[in-house]
Amino acid sequence: MITTPPRTRVAATRAELATKIYGRGGTEVRALDQVSVAMPGGQFTAVMGPSGSGKSTLMHCLAGLDTLTSGHAYIGDTELGSLSDRELTRVRREQIGFIFQAYNLIPTLTAKENITLPMDLARRKYDRPWLDAVIDTVGLRDRLQHRPSELSGGQQQRVAVARALAGRPQVIFADEPTGNLDSRAGGEILQFMRSAVTDLGQTIVMVTHDPVAAAYADSVLFLADGNIVDHMSRPSATAVLDRMKAFGG
Amino acid sequence: MFHATLSSLWRRKRRVIGASTAVVIGVAFLVATLILGDSMRTGFDTFFADSNKGVDLFIRNGTKVTSDGYVQQGTLDGSVADAVASWPGVARVAASVEGTAQILDIDGRPIGGDGPPTLGGNWIDDTGVDGIGFNGYAIAEGRAPIADDEVVIDRGSAEIGKLHVGDRTTVLTPQPVEVTVVGIVTFGDGADASDNIGGASFTGFTFAAAQRYLLGEPDRISTVLVEAEPGVAPDALRASLAPVLPPASETLTAAERTAEENDAIGADFLDFFEAFLLAFAIVALLVATFSIHNTFSILVAQRTRESALLRALGASRGQVLAAVAIEALVIATVASAIGVGAGIGLAATLKALMDAAGFGLPAAIGLDVQTATVVTAMIVGVGVSLAACIAPAFKAARIAPLAALRDVNIDRSATSKVRAVVGLLITAGGIAAVFTATRTPHDALATAGLGALATMIGAVVLGPIVATLATAVLGAPVAALRGQAGTLARRNAMRNPRRSAGTASALMFGTAVVALFATFGASLKASFDELVDDSFAGDLVVARSGSTGAPLDQQMASALAELDAVAIASPIADAPVVLGGSDESAVSIVPATFARVADLDVTQGSLAALSTNGLAVSSTYADEHGWQIGTVVPIAFADGTAAEVTLEAIYETANIVGSVAINDALWDPHQGRSGDAAVLVALADGVSLRDGKAAIESVTARYGSPNVQDRQEFADENGQDVDEMLGLSYGLLGLAILIAILGIANTLSLSIHERTRELGLLRAVGQSRSQLRSTVRWESVILAVFGTIGGLTLGTFLGWGLVRAMSSQEGIGTFAAPTTTLAVILGLVMVAGVVAAIRPARRAAKLDILQAIATS
Repeated sequence: MITTPPRTRVAATRAELATKIYGRGGTEVRALDQVSVAMPGGQFTAVMGPSGSGKSTLMHCLAGLDTLTSGHAYIGDTELGSLSDRELTRVRREQIGFIFQAYNLIPTLTAKENITLPMDLARRKYDRPWLDAVIDTVGLRDRLQHRPSELSGGQQQRVAVARALAGRPQVIFADEPTGNLDSRAGGEILQFMRSAVTDLGQTIVMVTHDPVAAAYADSVLFLADGNIVDHMSRPSATAVLDRMKAFGG
Repeated sequence: MFHATLSSLWRRKRRVIGASTAVVIGVAFLVATLILGDSMRTGFDTFFADSNKGVDLFIRNGTKVTSDGYVQQGTLDGSVADAVASWPGVARVAASVEGTAQILDIDGRPIGGDGPPTLGGNWIDDTGVDGIGFNGYAIAEGRAPIADDEVVIDRGSAEIGKLHVGDRTTVLTPQPVEVTVVGIVTFGDGADASDNIGGASFTGFTFAAAQRYLLGEPDRISTVLVEAEPGVAPDALRASLAPVLPPASETLTAAERTAEENDAIGADFLDFFEAFLLAFAIVALLVATFSIHNTFSILVAQRTRESALLRALGASRGQVLAAVAIEALVIATVASAIGVGAGIGLAATLKALMDAAGFGLPAAIGLDVQTATVVTAMIVGVGVSLAACIAPAFKAARIAPLAALRDVNIDRSATSKVRAVVGLLITAGGIAAVFTATRTPHDALATAGLGALATMIGAVVLGPIVATLATAVLGAPVAALRGQAGTLARRNAMRNPRRSAGTASALMFGTAVVALFATFGASLKASFDELVDDSFAGDLVVARSGSTGAPLDQQMASALAELDAVAIASPIADAPVVLGGSDESAVSIVPATFARVADLDVTQGSLAALSTNGLAVSSTYADEHGWQIGTVVPIAFADGTAAEVTLEAIYETANIVGSVAINDALWDPHQGRSGDAAVLVALADGVSLRDGKAAIESVTARYGSPNVQDRQEFADENGQDVDEMLGLSYGLLGLAILIAILGIANTLSLSIHERTRELGLLRAVGQSRSQLRSTVRWESVILAVFGTIGGLTLGTFLGWGLVRAMSSQEGIGTFAAPTTTLAVILGLVMVAGVVAAIRPARRAAKLDILQAIATS
């Protein structure tokens, strides 16, 4: 049977006084302004905010794709700022899962190969029962040998979700995972992500501007102008929409 | 449209540079070849004109026999010079004696003999009426020879041989003559002085010594040099001289003589030199064509959307076509122009290297850059580039406007059935032709050549069809050994078969030519080995070294025969004769002894019993001329005499003596001073090879120590020439391979540009920089190996076909596969593949992940 990791109060990823400044002088843009936040393990957290609020920057910095101007970003207990490119790569492949909006898959690899890609890159052994459970959860058993070009957009995103889950990472970052999908396919993906947290005990941080998507999360963080301005637990789509309207966007 | 094209070119300059490199290198090579050829031609022209300055007319015997580079010219009676001297209008005459004289260095080893001629003559010490002497040489040190054992030698030979005025040495004429060097001469005087004429050594004797040693007849001379009285035209003088001249003589003006000397050099050396280099320039340009074609195809594919958008906005097909064509034209023109500049630089470098290596063109002769060269190179460069771009340009024009709206997959290369059928037909036809050529003697070489061409074209057409399978197979070990990075490399090589094939075919073409050469070389060497095994029954061979040195003194063969250790010493000599009306390079043999050391596989008659007026020819030669045993054929010699010979023997193995053999007894009275080419030796029973060789060398030491070779060395020496030729060819073909490798680098760069997002994703999900580099590197290696294995297979097959065709047409040639060479080439190309990937891999690894995956 699948053993789910114990839900801990320890943050899966967190930021301390995170500041990110693009450009300098007159063109300086403060994308993050001394943000301190912790995403608890075993939770599904949505990050929302209008364009330019810094939500994507926050995610990129937490995921080790971008570096902070000042402050600290952690994956578990690992501080990312002090890591070399080689060490960052290892953190990404071993402790982080990614789901992007589009271009999620390598076109030359089959669905199965795309799912196991991070583990293959790390030359890590698969956890067979876990992998089987993930594949069954996203319902891809009969599509494993297909190339991405032979899959629908929804199926491609399901492969991406499976890839993110396959390595049992510390945290999964999702960047507008349903942005390119119709509402039915999008709903399916969100349901898979939801059950990955509920049933498989995973941790997901999702950046989105869609209140419906945010409603699948356990809690929602609202960013504006590089600051965390609000927090909402057990969100509903209507409540999130109302809160977003308050930004005047 | 034009402006848009230019600015778009400028934005993509990096990729454009990649495409142009191939053109630049190809054109540069072509230009360098043409310039070097022209410069050498001008150089020799100036040289000969200078050496003939001061002489108005040359009178000599009109009979000469030329064959395979051997020229034998008749001589004149010495009295002709006296008769001419007293004729009205003649200011001055000099009798000139010319022959071959090879100088031994201070340690007794022969100088030169493998390249430029080794000239000997009488020293003509004069200044002439008009201040310009008959003699192009000037004494730089010492004095003119007075006694018959005194000589002057050229400064080049003096330096190589460490000889100084006052040194004693030996000159082979071919008879070894002990001499004292009393003077060192230069060609030309003062600032224009050069060490010698184009590397040719020169020994100047006294008149009497030159007659005795170089002609072997005391009263004969080679040429009468005539200076006309001031105001007398050479042509008029020539006409008036006719009554005093013997009927068989001919008279040349200085201009005619210069032209003749130029032609001789042209026929023998410059034409070959130029043709040789041009062949490689053509290979390089062909490879460049493949490279440019591939790059352009990719560029066009990458711009599918842009082109479609232009069409959607109302651009006509012609306009889209023009945009691509203008781009190609601009690239081609700029690249060709750079190529011309680079070619001039390359020519200057090569000339400097040749000067340093002692080819001996005077420093005063600069580079001869002719307008025709520049124009030709520009036309060829631009033409080749445009030809390579035609198909991609039309493809761009065919793009439907709708493609702008669809999410088009970049460069989807569907492999059509038509391509498969056409490719298979051409290839099968080519292979069939090659096989036919190996079986039928009729026009075998031409058939094989056409077959080779068709096979090559067929292989290029089939490339995209076999590319997927081939890269999959070749990539399998990479995927197995290099983990995920290897798997990705393999899939990337497989993902676009047309592009992979396009990239690989440049390399395939280059390596096929290399393999062809290597196969030819290995087969030639194997043939030599077989020749020695099959047809040489003796133990040792004493051979002249090189083709331009002194032949062997005839006395040497007799001296060798007298040794106790030697059972048989049978000399063979080159015997240029006019046989049945055409110049032929026959070989003279001593029948009784020759038949005991050589087995030519005589099918009719007997070599041992060849009579004095007997003739032996190879069966191929007999068939060609329709001769049978008993056929009587007229024969003539350079000294003007004629006779008849009867065909008495027909043999199969034409290797040792060539196609025609005559009796030494017939040849000897007419041979002049041509000496022997080799002496075939069989040792007496019980004499070891070592003792026999020592005994022989004690004799040959008196004759300038020619090479004494055992059977293996004899075979190897022939092989050495092949190796030298191959080495040069490999060097030049390396250039074509370099172009092909640059093509791989360029394709990789373009592919990486296309795969930016994909690479970003890979990095995001945990591919390390070194894994990414490894992926690019192995893709490069798979492509390189794909092209190389195709090329080597093709080249070896074609080499086999040509060797077999030669053997069925000429009756010579054993096939041998140069396995070691092929393995080395494969290894080198793999390394080159790794090197080609360095820059693209580094650029890929430097990708900013965030930018690569940015969704907006």
